[in-house]
Amino acid sequence: MDKIEHLRKEIAQREAELADLRARLAAEEELRCTAGETQNGEEWKWPLDEHDYQRYSRQMIVPNFGLQGQLHVKQAKVLLVGAGGLGCPAAAYLAGAGVGTLGLVDGDAVEVSNLHRQVAHSTGRVGMMKVDSAVAYLKGLNPTITYNAHATHLTPLNAEEIVSQYDLVLDCTDHPTSRYLISDICVLLSKPLISASAFQTSGQLIVLNNPPGKGPCYRCVFPKPPPPESVVGCGEGGIIGPVVGTMGVLQALEAIKLIVRGDHLKWSETNGQGEEVKQVGLLLFSAMGDVPFRTVRMRGKKKGCFACSGDGTALTLNELKTSMDYVQFCGVNQPVKLLQPEERISVAEYERISQQHKNHLLLDVREKEHFGVCNIKGSINVPISRFTAHRGQGSDLSDLIPGDVAPDAPIYIVCRVGNDSQIAAKKLKDLGVDRNGERFVGDIFGGLKAWKETIDPSLPFI
Amino acid sequence: MTSSAPKSPPGHFSLLYFASASSFTGKDYESLSAPISIGKLFSELESRYPGMQAKILDSCLVTVNLDYVDIPTEGEEGLVIQEGDEVAIIPPVSSG
Repeated sequence: MDKIEHLRKEIAQREAELADLRARLAAEEELRCTAGETQNGEEWKWPLDEHDYQRYSRQMIVPNFGLQGQLHVKQAKVLLVGAGGLGCPAAAYLAGAGVGTLGLVDGDAVEVSNLHRQVAHSTGRVGMMKVDSAVAYLKGLNPTITYNAHATHLTPLNAEEIVSQYDLVLDCTDHPTSRYLISDICVLLSKPLISASAFQTSGQLIVLNNPPGKGPCYRCVFPKPPPPESVVGCGEGGIIGPVVGTMGVLQALEAIKLIVRGDHLKWSETNGQGEEVKQVGLLLFSAMGDVPFRTVRMRGKKKGCFACSGDGTALTLNELKTSMDYVQFCGVNQPVKLLQPEERISVAEYERISQQHKNHLLLDVREKEHFGVCNIKGSINVPISRFTAHRGQGSDLSDLIPGDVAPDAPIYIVCRVGNDSQIAAKKLKDLGVDRNGERFVGDIFGGLKAWKETIDPSLPFI
Repeated sequence: MTSSAPKSPPGHFSLLYFASASSFTGKDYESLSAPISIGKLFSELESRYPGMQAKILDSCLVTVNLDYVDIPTEGEEGLVIQEGDEVAIIPPVSSG
């Protein structure tokens, strides 16, 4: 196993070096005839380099894009925070369009489970830092622009130093903590922010802080973060590749529109004076809907906004660096502690019980897609949503407990890691199913994850 | 999620649920009686879907006929939704 791992890493390393060499060769070839002079010795007299006219001709002839648009794109410095499902397609289109400097921030490494949607990475680069993998891909696409790989997560400590090097920021991250941090630093450093997100089959897109100081920030739109237990990532909840891809591509489009209009330049020229705020729309993408796209009209800045109100109480750069705790602000997802130790059994204990063939019921409360991938033999799927939506005492329980089971048969509940199973067990007890302790109702500690670790390592646990 | 709801019947408005609001209620949309204030709508939703206030409504944004509306502070009623309106409950999507 170690040997395989080692070889993989070595191959990835060599491939990255090769990709870099190829990119440098391509850049040199492309630049050869345009290094200040043309082939016949005359000085180059056009505003873009010769190779730029070939590479960008198809977008330059689009109405209202033109030479001026391309010059703006070439001078722009764009930062993408996150090199995943949103960042990969966004970076590809921005690199292709010729954005002069592209920065990527990400502290994660490429995993196989990323590849169905994170189109800049590859099987050969699994294990490599995402920023390095993405830059290797992007250099192959366009070797003539500058890339900065920041192989770290954005934090309150490094945010100012990194973000201040750019004109425009794309939030391609996957958590509320980073969304509030990025919005705050963009407000404080006067950078427009293009924020997108995606989950399962839905997406959202909004242009924030544009023009800086005038447009609403993320806190104006969502002042309060969602409760931590309701924040489910793509790893657990899932994501369809083209859904997040669509949102990333739309982010790149908004960035190109903003840059071509020169919004980011106008601000530094006028310091925001006289700039009008355009109507801000929040785009909602529902991939499975009859109306897949709709835009809702947002208000401007929220009065008294913690970050962007501009009055004496608003956040300062120093406060962001020294006293902002975004993890605490968004809340920490505490492990569920609803059951007492005697109400919980281990996976080993359940295995013994199942081998004794005693009458019992094993309920698996994961969603049906998870259950369909793998489950413990004999378990019955009753998704947790059925428990949380249940109306309470006196109502029919047949949707929670399948009919043909003896009224005294013990009930064991299992889920992914052992949180939802406690919620379900507690609900059944609240409904009186345990008949004041006569009947055992409890859960399996550690869930399917523990089952895989201890009992059946072959389980294709997701 | 189906974001196009059929036209609401007379005396009703249609309510669209996006992202986690849709998974919490198990619905993409439904019709409720109008007129009703935003404040009353939130209480109605909490009684239909226990826990929805804390899990969804406290951190969502609300639009009426595609326009953002302010969520009333406690004790206030807020804007009154009229018959035929289209109201959307839009929680933030954070992942990507």
